[in-house]
Amino acid sequence: MMISVKDFSFSIGGKQILFDVAFDLPKGAYLSILGPNGAGKSTLLKCLLRLHEKGTAKGSILIDGKPLEGYSQKGLARLISYVPQAGGWIPPFTVQELSKLSRFPYISGLSGLTKKDVEAVDRALETTGLTAMRDRPLKTLSGGERQKAFLAAAVAQETPIMLLDEPASFLDPHHTSEMEKLLIRLNQEQGLSMIAVTHDLNHPAKTKGLALILRKGRVMYFGDVPGLLGKGVLEEAFDHQFVYLENPKSGLPVILAE
Amino acid sequence: MGTSLKIAILIVLGLVIFVVSPFFGLETISPASLLKGLDPGDADVFWKMRVPRAVAAFLAGAGLSLSGMVFQALFRNPLATPFTLGVSSGASFGASMYFFLGGSALASLGGVGPLFASLFGAGLSVAMVWLITSAKGGFSTVIMLLAGVVINFFFSSLVLFVQYLSDSNDSLRIMHWLMGSLSGLDTPRLADLAFVVLAGFVAIRLIAQEIDLLTAGEELAASRGVKVNRVKLIIFITASVVVGSVVSLAGPIGFVGLMVPHACRLILGWSHRILIPAVFFVGGAFLVLCDLVSRIILAPAEIPIGIITSMLGGPFFLWTLFKSQKTGDLF
Repeated sequence: MMISVKDFSFSIGGKQILFDVAFDLPKGAYLSILGPNGAGKSTLLKCLLRLHEKGTAKGSILIDGKPLEGYSQKGLARLISYVPQAGGWIPPFTVQELSKLSRFPYISGLSGLTKKDVEAVDRALETTGLTAMRDRPLKTLSGGERQKAFLAAAVAQETPIMLLDEPASFLDPHHTSEMEKLLIRLNQEQGLSMIAVTHDLNHPAKTKGLALILRKGRVMYFGDVPGLLGKGVLEEAFDHQFVYLENPKSGLPVILAE
Repeated sequence: MGTSLKIAILIVLGLVIFVVSPFFGLETISPASLLKGLDPGDADVFWKMRVPRAVAAFLAGAGLSLSGMVFQALFRNPLATPFTLGVSSGASFGASMYFFLGGSALASLGGVGPLFASLFGAGLSVAMVWLITSAKGGFSTVIMLLAGVVINFFFSSLVLFVQYLSDSNDSLRIMHWLMGSLSGLDTPRLADLAFVVLAGFVAIRLIAQEIDLLTAGEELAASRGVKVNRVKLIIFITASVVVGSVVSLAGPIGFVGLMVPHACRLILGWSHRILIPAVFFVGGAFLVLCDLVSRIILAPAEIPIGIITSMLGGPFFLWTLFKSQKTGDLF
């Protein structure tokens, strides 16, 4: 599943938010979208999910060469799953019920879940380590566990592409690291293409993936992490100075804000 | 207790209430005398008054409860009801206009006049909520609820204005009707109501899974393949037509759409596949029970059923509000 964004511009209510965004994402890539607040990261993510109906788009977003508008709602849901930002509305469901809802794109008409659907849900809960918590209502979980439940629901959707809106914000270091490991595993072992909006500048290095840096709605950088370091890109994007170190344990680059 | 057992108990309880209700009233009719054959007077009371009335109460309760349930799922707010969204007061305005103009232009519509007038009012209020919210860009729940409150006030004052303009006779009719009552039941129109409420039930049942997903949030629902705007439109149209029909027949009977869905969710949880038939059934039985109480509590006088439901509903509303403030979220 290759995603290709071509000269994509987007405006809402006369205010232009994205300007000629263009990039090609190969199958199985892990893309982190970075940028200062208000740069248009979430808008780009929502456009990729086709969640923005109010607004005018120019240019195109193609998945496997087919424009996004060409997919039916369920067809798109079989291609792209979505993990919302933590800290939003908590649905009144249990962990397992939330994952079961993700099987909607595979259900036709009034029929219920098939054996295949139930197995997919079970697998998703196992992958995310939530099998023991399956019957717990989301409201009774900690923030970290709940975010994992949303991830499990996206996994249960069995899509080749997963989109995440700040998957690890509001989580403590332990849960952040657990979440990251899960996402990396999904990408590297199961071959899912991931696109994550994040404020964590070190996320792309940890995922060994690509970074896209937005500033004022324009792409400032698109490429791998080594190409990003020490070239003043981050400094210009965030209007701030950074220090570049190396993690003595993992050998990965670490970016610190001064 | 298993879900099926809970449902079985609710159905048996509901059936008992529905079957028992017509035997009580100003004069009690015993089941034995029904089996032996009633004298013509009692037979008329039983078959031509009490049974149709129980059916009407059931349909009204089921319709209002279902509408409340879908509005609450749509707005993810337990206080969203046909009333808080202004649909009932819109329908009331339509019906009071009918009473006000009753002798003239609308009279040619005959028996379905109040129905059309109410549907027109309900449609008008929904269109206004829709226009206000979409003008603000997107269907924000907060804006929609606030728009509902404003429209509620607007139509309520229009109803008062119509009442002010009416002569004392019409004004009294409007006032009595506004209390919500099943006493002046227009039996031939029961079939219309049955058709609308059952069609509404089917329409809502067909989108049960979509409603579950909407409860989880609109963006999540869309990302799972739900055509959100289409489902919202179906919910709005269905609920408005059902509420409009109920209001045209029985007046604005308050709080049923708040209490019944809430109680059912407490007992049965959130899966709408189960919730929809349960709310339909419990809502119907609940209003039959309220109607029974309204007929016998001050017999031979009869209190409008809306007063009974409001007396129960007011405290319930407050309880919901306080509970929601304590836990920090509304459901």
